[in-house]
Amino acid sequence: MKQKAPIRDSVTTINQDGSRYFVHPADVRGFWTFFRRCAGFTLIAVYILLPIVKVNGAPAVFLDIFHQRLHLFGLNFMFQDLWLLFFLITGLGFALFFVTSLFGRLWCGWACPQTVFLDHVFRRVERLIDGDAASRRRLTDAPLAVGKILRRAIKHGLYIALCAGIAHLFLSYFVSLPELYRMAHLSPLENFGSFLFVMALTGVLYFNFAWFREQFCIIMCPYGRLGSALIDDNSIVVGYDSVRGEPRGKPGTVTGDCIDCRRCVQVCPTGIDIRQGLQLECISCEACIDACDEIMRKIGRPKGLVRHDSLNALSGKKTRFLRPRLFIYLALMLAGATAFAIATQKVKPVVVSALRMQGAPYFKEGDHIRNNFLLRLANKRAQTHTYTISVQSPVAALEVAGGNCQKVQLAGTAEVQEPLILTLPLADFPGQFEVQIQILGESGKVENERTVPFLGPFRE
Amino acid sequence: MNNKPEKSGEIEIRPHIYDGIQEFDQRLPNWWLFTLYGAMVFAAAYWAYYHWTDHMKPGYQRVENQIAELQKAALASGAAPTDMQIWKLSQNPEAVAAGKATFGTNCVACHGADLKGGIGFNLMDTEWVHGGKPAEIYNTVMKGVTEKGMPTWAPVLGSARVADVVAYIISQNKSIPEPKE
Repeated sequence: MKQKAPIRDSVTTINQDGSRYFVHPADVRGFWTFFRRCAGFTLIAVYILLPIVKVNGAPAVFLDIFHQRLHLFGLNFMFQDLWLLFFLITGLGFALFFVTSLFGRLWCGWACPQTVFLDHVFRRVERLIDGDAASRRRLTDAPLAVGKILRRAIKHGLYIALCAGIAHLFLSYFVSLPELYRMAHLSPLENFGSFLFVMALTGVLYFNFAWFREQFCIIMCPYGRLGSALIDDNSIVVGYDSVRGEPRGKPGTVTGDCIDCRRCVQVCPTGIDIRQGLQLECISCEACIDACDEIMRKIGRPKGLVRHDSLNALSGKKTRFLRPRLFIYLALMLAGATAFAIATQKVKPVVVSALRMQGAPYFKEGDHIRNNFLLRLANKRAQTHTYTISVQSPVAALEVAGGNCQKVQLAGTAEVQEPLILTLPLADFPGQFEVQIQILGESGKVENERTVPFLGPFRE
Repeated sequence: MNNKPEKSGEIEIRPHIYDGIQEFDQRLPNWWLFTLYGAMVFAAAYWAYYHWTDHMKPGYQRVENQIAELQKAALASGAAPTDMQIWKLSQNPEAVAAGKATFGTNCVACHGADLKGGIGFNLMDTEWVHGGKPAEIYNTVMKGVTEKGMPTWAPVLGSARVADVVAYIISQNKSIPEPKE
């Protein structure tokens, strides 16, 4: 198969008849490739460690759907607290806007899981089994023979195994590792929903990493499209210095530095020619920078013909880093972060509700009146915690059956119902008054409270 | 941005111009078209499945069905346990331990940790105002004596835990005789 020459008027990876043109990017080595790979492996380690490492008794990230709890780096939320994630997510969104307007699609090339897994796992497996770009292209064109079938079987077998691994890792974020381990040792029918989810996710991941690849970034990902609005002429992007490079041609015959070796085109995973300018397909993977620098070094010209720079600088103008949009994004990002930080402090670590028990609103027994309440306590903490139920009354004679300040030990994320029986000598009843039920944590701090009216007979 | 496209090839340009912007008329990727046609087929199949079969009832109907089933099950099995059943439960250390735990959180406030009463009646003596047979005690706890302030425990604890609590009381109060069959 001949390599297709990229043009700016259509997407290289989609042919004129709508079929797919499969890109086989050539090997590339260099500064950026090395550090990008280091970052990729670090991120994969982080993905694996997040459900393993425990913070405050719960995995670092654990979206416990079954118990409707969210554990986030030591913070514990119930699902009714999820409104505050609005601030976190918008804050992170504007952080991404900020980074994008400064450095272009840095996220895509360095941190997006799609790129991390595709470039540092699946393309490496493909390179290992099928060889370099030329042999991969040859193998694709080769007739179906034993050798090709064997290679394909091994490659796709590895793909599926890796995808199943990633799908299980993803599920462990929602059910925790011990639960995943337990479920894995049962018949699939016991947890059919989870089983089906992992199977479907494995299938989707396999389709994505084996075949779909850059199509996701080019056509499906909304962030890539937002890039056209977030990036301007002052954002640092991967670009070709046409002032220095043009006119291109064989050394000695032209004045430009580009020798038109097409290495930058061969290494591009999305099939573009970076010399045609910044394009929607570019995920900032920096393969073309390393490829061009290597050639420039070989022919003794200064590197940086393809480099990180703003479109202004690439066309000979000055880059203006500080732009109003940068400050707007930064302000919105900080607003989100601040609101999240404040909201997190407002979330109470224990839930309490107090309901009057069924029956009469109050009971008269001899010379006493009695109010019955049913308390419901829910521990949001992931660890066992002992709470003290303290009843604060403006009427000193009020008595709590069993004694005031009773302690309740609650296991991590447990809930309990406790009756609260309040009695008062009728003679001391001043008319309806309010009683505060305070829930104290182990530190003695009031962590939540409810106010309930104490009722009795009408007094003249 | 100052490079001209290398070649436009046979890509058709649509005739309209808005603000000086023209559009290419390119074929959609085949995979994209497959998802569109696939979604159409799925929609038709789902519509038929949803409306013509009994497998997918609307949410409220499913909830109603579940409630009806639960009520049927409660009627079938929820007949109050007999004296003998509760007595047997009181001989079962597991049930007694579970009952003791429930008693400790829910009943202790009024009936006391030693079961000798306080706000509520003494459960260790031989006087049973609302009936002293195991099934009668069970009924009293389930339904409560709301005019006296004994709450209805059925919705809070459920029948199983109430049975455990009664088993615990019987195991403690030796004056309750073993029922005859």
